[in-house]
Amino acid sequence: MGLLLTIGCTDLEETTYSELSESNFYKTELELIQATLRPFTHMQAWLSWSGESGYYYHNELSADQTAWPQKGRHGYDSGDHIRQHYHTWTSQESRLNSAWELMWTGVGFVNNSIESIQAVDAASIGVTQERLESIIAESKVLRAYHYMKIMDMWGNVPIITTVGEPAEPATNSREEVFAFVEKELLENVEKLQPLSPQLLGRVSRAVGYAILSEFYLNAEVWSGTPRWEESIKYSDKIIDGEGGSLTGNIALDQDPLGPFDNTNEESPENIFQFPYSRINDFGYNWSGLYMGFTNMQEALDVTYSGNNAFVVVPTAFNAYKENDIRKKEWFLFGPQYIFGTDTPILGTEEYRGKPFVYVNNIRRNSEGQTGVGSMTEGEENSGARFNKYRSGRQDDDNYLEGDFVIYRLTEIYFNKAEALMRLNNGNATPEAVNLINESKMRYFTEEDWTNEAYTTSTLTMNELLAERGREFIFEGKRRTDLIRFGAFTTNSWWDHQPSGNPDLTIYPIPFRQLQANPNLVQNPGYDE
Amino acid sequence: MIFFFALGMITTQIILAQESKTVTGTVTDPGGMPLPGVTVKEKGTSNGVATDFDGNFSIDVVSNTSILEFSYVGMTTTEQVVGSQNSLVVKMQSDEQALDEVVLIGYGSQQRKAVSTAVTKVDTEDFNQGVVQSPLELIQGKVAGLQITRAGGNNPNGSTAIQLRGVTSLKGSMNPLIVIDGIPGGNLDLLQQNDIESFDVLKDGAAAAIYGTRGTNGVILITTKKGKNGVSTFNYSTFVSRDYVNSKPDFLSAAKTRALIAEGIISEDQDLGASTDIFDLLVNKTNLTQYHNFVASGGAKTSNYRASLYYKDSEGIAVENGRQEFGVRASFNQTGLDDKLTFSSSVAVNINDANLLGGGQFGAVNSWNPTAPIYAPFNNSVEGMLTNNGRYGFYQPENGFNPFSEYANRINQRKQLTFSGDVKLGYEFIPGLIGSVFGSYQRNSWDDRRYRSTQDYQQYTGEFNGTGFAYKASRLNFTQTVEPTLTFSKDFGDNSFELLGGYSYQYSTQEDYRMETGGFTTDGFLDWNFGAGNALTDDSLPNPVLTSFKEDNTLIAYFTRLSYSYKDRYFIQASVRHEGSSRFGANNKWASFPAISGAWVISDENFMQDASWLNNLKLRAGYGLTGNQGIPNYQSIVTLGGGGKYPIYDDAGTPTYYQTYGPVKNPNPDLRWETKKELNIGVDFGILYNKLSGSIDLYSRRTEDLLYDYTVPQPPFVRPTIFTNVGDITNKGIEVALNYRVVDQGDFKWSVDLVGSYQENELTSLSNERFSVAELPGGNLGNPGNLGNAILNTEGGPIGNFYGKRFAGFTVDGKWLFHKADGTIARADDMSPREDNAIIGNGLPKYFASFTNTFRYKNFDLTVLLRGKFKYDILNTVDMFYGNKKLLPGNILNSAVGKYNMIDESPQYSDYYLENGDFVKLDNLTLGYNFSLPDNSLFSALRIFGSARNLATFTGYTGRDPEVEDTGLNPGIDDRNNFYPRTITVTAGVNVNF
Repeated sequence: MGLLLTIGCTDLEETTYSELSESNFYKTELELIQATLRPFTHMQAWLSWSGESGYYYHNELSADQTAWPQKGRHGYDSGDHIRQHYHTWTSQESRLNSAWELMWTGVGFVNNSIESIQAVDAASIGVTQERLESIIAESKVLRAYHYMKIMDMWGNVPIITTVGEPAEPATNSREEVFAFVEKELLENVEKLQPLSPQLLGRVSRAVGYAILSEFYLNAEVWSGTPRWEESIKYSDKIIDGEGGSLTGNIALDQDPLGPFDNTNEESPENIFQFPYSRINDFGYNWSGLYMGFTNMQEALDVTYSGNNAFVVVPTAFNAYKENDIRKKEWFLFGPQYIFGTDTPILGTEEYRGKPFVYVNNIRRNSEGQTGVGSMTEGEENSGARFNKYRSGRQDDDNYLEGDFVIYRLTEIYFNKAEALMRLNNGNATPEAVNLINESKMRYFTEEDWTNEAYTTSTLTMNELLAERGREFIFEGKRRTDLIRFGAFTTNSWWDHQPSGNPDLTIYPIPFRQLQANPNLVQNPGYDE
Repeated sequence: MIFFFALGMITTQIILAQESKTVTGTVTDPGGMPLPGVTVKEKGTSNGVATDFDGNFSIDVVSNTSILEFSYVGMTTTEQVVGSQNSLVVKMQSDEQALDEVVLIGYGSQQRKAVSTAVTKVDTEDFNQGVVQSPLELIQGKVAGLQITRAGGNNPNGSTAIQLRGVTSLKGSMNPLIVIDGIPGGNLDLLQQNDIESFDVLKDGAAAAIYGTRGTNGVILITTKKGKNGVSTFNYSTFVSRDYVNSKPDFLSAAKTRALIAEGIISEDQDLGASTDIFDLLVNKTNLTQYHNFVASGGAKTSNYRASLYYKDSEGIAVENGRQEFGVRASFNQTGLDDKLTFSSSVAVNINDANLLGGGQFGAVNSWNPTAPIYAPFNNSVEGMLTNNGRYGFYQPENGFNPFSEYANRINQRKQLTFSGDVKLGYEFIPGLIGSVFGSYQRNSWDDRRYRSTQDYQQYTGEFNGTGFAYKASRLNFTQTVEPTLTFSKDFGDNSFELLGGYSYQYSTQEDYRMETGGFTTDGFLDWNFGAGNALTDDSLPNPVLTSFKEDNTLIAYFTRLSYSYKDRYFIQASVRHEGSSRFGANNKWASFPAISGAWVISDENFMQDASWLNNLKLRAGYGLTGNQGIPNYQSIVTLGGGGKYPIYDDAGTPTYYQTYGPVKNPNPDLRWETKKELNIGVDFGILYNKLSGSIDLYSRRTEDLLYDYTVPQPPFVRPTIFTNVGDITNKGIEVALNYRVVDQGDFKWSVDLVGSYQENELTSLSNERFSVAELPGGNLGNPGNLGNAILNTEGGPIGNFYGKRFAGFTVDGKWLFHKADGTIARADDMSPREDNAIIGNGLPKYFASFTNTFRYKNFDLTVLLRGKFKYDILNTVDMFYGNKKLLPGNILNSAVGKYNMIDESPQYSDYYLENGDFVKLDNLTLGYNFSLPDNSLFSALRIFGSARNLATFTGYTGRDPEVEDTGLNPGIDDRNNFYPRTITVTAGVNVNF
């Protein structure tokens, strides 16, 4: 027996083959960059419309422009979208938990890459210390951006910069999170490289300034103290070209589709975008949320179809005047035809076999219903639809090569104009009017423009919010804007009635997270 | 059945009078008590009588040289020459054959009498007859507590779910360990039903503990047939079988659709002019499976061999749904050096080609408009013509698909080769001390090929721009095992003991690669010229895909077992296995799995000698620990994996998209085994001269440290979950196996086997001080409507609870009404899942029973197997979704406009669709005939048989088949997406020896 015990191998170490072990990575500059870029590919899952239930989903569906109504047998989905629209969510929302997990996984990826890269001896892999620090600065600003968005969603959350420690961190107040984000941004933004075509999709200095512009614009909501001047300061740095640009001269794109088409990496106004590319396997995909069923493929001459999910809320569509070019260019509305023909697209559900016509209401027209309708009474053709971003037709050389834009110059114009007006007791200044008019005039003919141009008396705060909505529809920013304007819990839209409950301006900490970490504190007004 | 019984009774009662001598006498049992009903027969004649109530008989015999034969159930048949006596007293002896049975216990064997754990043995003669898809179906219904389910119908390319004594894990494997001739983890594909000698099922913890980390789900030891020394035989067996559809979903026919159009329920434009029963067209009505097996076996004094070759051509009930296989199993055994050296070796090969194209298309029945044609010219715009998206002659529905277009334009095949080889060398160093080394090598590899032609719908409508698509994938698995063992056995007077020691090393690896590309402008190459696929260079087509993968793991163990018996009446056995797996965390690589068991043969005690009716009474008790290493590799360590590509731009602004890398999981260096602790108490008995024998087992098992993905605080962890050991599951149950030899003498024999079990499963705990989940939802009902999960397993509750809305009726206009928690009644929109849902049923069967009747009359034999499951609910998702007019314009069930006509709202999940699942199936009916062959016949044995499986189902369940998936955590949901037909399988076969 003793013989048996002494023979034989007892080595039980695991060998990896198709995944990397940490000990054989971070050996070259490229590997450091590959680790740094991991949070970027992850970020698009929650920030853009990849179809996951992340930040984008919540910032759109809880606001006044888009909704995901039940359409006959489709779209009830446990009432998830219905509760977003009516502001009746609870801490049990599974999609809210998904958003939490996605966004914090992003923080985890950044923390992991910063920790691993900080542990690298720069000289030993032939990288200068300065280069190493610039890589880390990019990651830290990216992490600050994550925290800013997490703070926008949940307000009071832990601040963690190392993986796994402490195991059950305590909640920090929103003011503390705000201070952390500010410190990280100010310490690192100037270390970033200016925006250039080489930094497309990366955290450049212009991106850092754009984050600061947004950060200070919302400072009153997030920290209790307004910081309008600082928002103006960083907006100016971008406008003045201090952050760099993609095209050598940052400017508003005069083409209404320029920032959104499939060559939008060349738009002079874009600052930060996810450089999607079908050819390079970085999939560009709004179809899950916005595209209709297969019958709509021929309308756009594309190869993808979607879930017929998000629709435009009738009041949001009505907010555009008929002569507004955006109303034609950014939406699908009315009868749909096979691309380039007058052959009608046919319906597949309520209007099976009949010409397919998008209508500006959400109700059971096929059953003769009239009135305002509701979230459970949609049909396959309810509401105007998304057409702002364009994939191109299937034989286009750049088919599905477009980017999702996170920051573009127009937003910086709006930020500055708003800050100027707020410093002026909510009244427009000539500079504010100019900024907004420069954006808006792109969408009207010269003859119409004389009537449409804002003046210091017509550009009220309410009008600014309305125009901001018209400009940034579908861009995942509306909830934040409504909250900053105090409209989120007080305005009505379509069939949505205001709750008057300010607690709803931050989401509840998901129930599962409270269970996992007893040191988390539920936000005010929500059940444990 | 009654007919045969009656026939049997008559035979035993007939007395044929003959001239000459009359013999009278008394027959007693071993204790001297008179035995009524003993068959007394004059040998070589049909002359026979039975003893009366006092054991007395009287028979006329031809002469003094006549031999009388006394036979009785449970007794050894005895013969006596009449001689000169006129009166005889015959004392019969109990047939102890059952106790002489050799039972495998893992790394050794024991006499049945000495077994102190819960082990069930099933031999060839007790196997289910007829064609089986999995060898384990041979013992379906034969082993109490062993559930074998083919929820997907009789698909030759389908799988069989096996579960012993209930659910033991949340994430780990729930399959019993299969050991074929000593090869742990043996591949069932390598086993042909004719090659199997016996199954030994180790059920309890004490029995399975010798297999350590693989023992938690029980162990099934399979022994293959070997050659016999000194007998050379050939055997040829063959059968043909055919499947017949015995139930199909009741969707609208074309005529019914037209009737509904006339009524205005379906819109007029839905009449597409044809009449197509798509389900019927998908059935291969002429399916025929044939099987040929040829065996040559024999042996000399010190060696024997057996070689078995087979060919099987299976056709499923679906078109394009077949499997052809052939292979060989050969074994060779030899002894030498005065029988001190033993050598045995076997190889088995299975080569099979499967057509995976068909079988999965029956779901078309729920989207196919029955008035749509299969073939139609392309037309998408002309007024008044049939609207058709299809080209190349096939009609293509806007929603759904045309299976026949797929059959015409696609290839989906698998070619598989499975091999195992083993060798065992043993040497008896001194009497009682045997050392041996066992080594085995198993290899399983397959190549998949798929092709979609330029005329395939998916190709000409999608991003492939009308070009063909090819796919190839390959897998290679192999496992190497080395197990040296040493056994020493010795008797000292009334004491005897056996000591086993061993070491086990097992290394397994899996390697995969796959490539796929599009852009084939011609179908001339199919998948045989990848370079011709233009997608390699044409950016407008989807990128080619290339993947490869490898993983491996190692399992190492030391084990020992001591068996001791005193007076062949008291038995005790103790074992321990110390085992380590590469899969577990650095802090917990190794663990020990001890077991102890004992048995007491009460019937052999002196004080029981008078109870002669009691032939066997044995009490057993055992306690053992087992583990479960059936989890994925690399769960305890940090690994970096690809997170998608992101660009880095060069100075010219040209991007290169590089793979990004980040942590794949939260590491868990404490990851360890799930440990099952099981107590089993059993009793084996044989009474009335073993006419009635059986066993009863009670078990209580608790599986601790269950692995699950627990939510970790985020932040600070990178990933939302960690794979860690937290919860407990407990199972309790009773298993009963009874054999009653109702009639066992003369020309008519009838025996009955009753196997039953009762089982309770409880999810005892899901939490500890650090991690908790309150519940495990599952059984997603899917779309349309995203109705969420049907099942909610909660901490402290039984496994398999249906959790949902409680039906309260319909509004006058057909909208759903449900009970709310506060007692009010509300519509679906007003229901809060959190507050208003309730436990509405349970999908896990509690009682299992099977009942086998075996009749033999002269050369005929008849087997009737009834099998049932009881006390559980089935969620009828087929009715739920398709028995609803709102699902128009997909196809719907006739019941949608009949029984469910009042519903005028989209499907909702509630107890309205829960039904009692209790059923009894007439699972197997086999009639065989063994020819009486003259001595000069060419053949030494010839048997023909006919068999029918799944012949009838007795149930209140209104769906197609109450035998739905009932293993695992989400049982009892009738899968609405799997419309693979349920079938009756009829087989006819011949078996000859020569």
